[in-house]
Amino acid sequence: MIMTPGIRKFALTAHLTCSVGWLGAVMAYLALVVAALISQESGTLQAVWIAMEVIGWYVIVPLALASLLTGLVMALGTQWGLFRHYWVLLSLLLTILATVVLLAHMQTVSDVARIAAETPSAAVNGLSSELVHAGVGMLVLLVIQVLNIYKPRGMTPYGWRKQRERRTVTPAEM
Amino acid sequence: MAQTPLEPSHGSTPGTPGWVKVFGIIALVLILLFVISLLTGARHGPGMHTPSGDAGGYSRHSSIAAHSEQPS
Repeated sequence: MIMTPGIRKFALTAHLTCSVGWLGAVMAYLALVVAALISQESGTLQAVWIAMEVIGWYVIVPLALASLLTGLVMALGTQWGLFRHYWVLLSLLLTILATVVLLAHMQTVSDVARIAAETPSAAVNGLSSELVHAGVGMLVLLVIQVLNIYKPRGMTPYGWRKQRERRTVTPAEM
Repeated sequence: MAQTPLEPSHGSTPGTPGWVKVFGIIALVLILLFVISLLTGARHGPGMHTPSGDAGGYSRHSSIAAHSEQPS
């Protein structure tokens, strides 16, 4: 079902807000990790792990899920479709991958945050992993953003088939 | 997804674009590296940062809840 221009603009606004918000929140998360790595002071470690858990569960996870959902709405509600263009398909796969890894990793963050609340020095080792996870996550989100802005050409075999079907059906209907 | 699709309407033959092939190769390399790191014994996933005594007792207990439970 193709959306009307008004609804499409609203859906696009929601999708952009969630996607860019997700990227911004990951950057804030990375800044916390770097701050803790530089300081390594127990008070900072404790505060950073608590902040990372809060940002993770209450900002990053909701934005990731909302971004995935609004992306699906945008793909299915416009001419682009979900499986017709490589850039849409790739964006979908990368978003699903990033969301699944995020959800799995947040369980670990909660565990380490709990340890950091009791013995902050024991939570220092987890920071390097956070740097890798958040850093790679940010790169993946940047790739998705570039794909969504540049929209590189290329149709999937399914997209070609659908386009051919549309061309053969349209003259007969006229 | 703001614009309408801009696909060539005539004369183009279907085929996988070069940029998709590059993405595929990068993905394959990353998957291979991940599998190799798993095979060489690198620990990954939930519980990897917890102390050895706590590794088996993985808990989803949140520190947010733990803090709210503490008497002020």
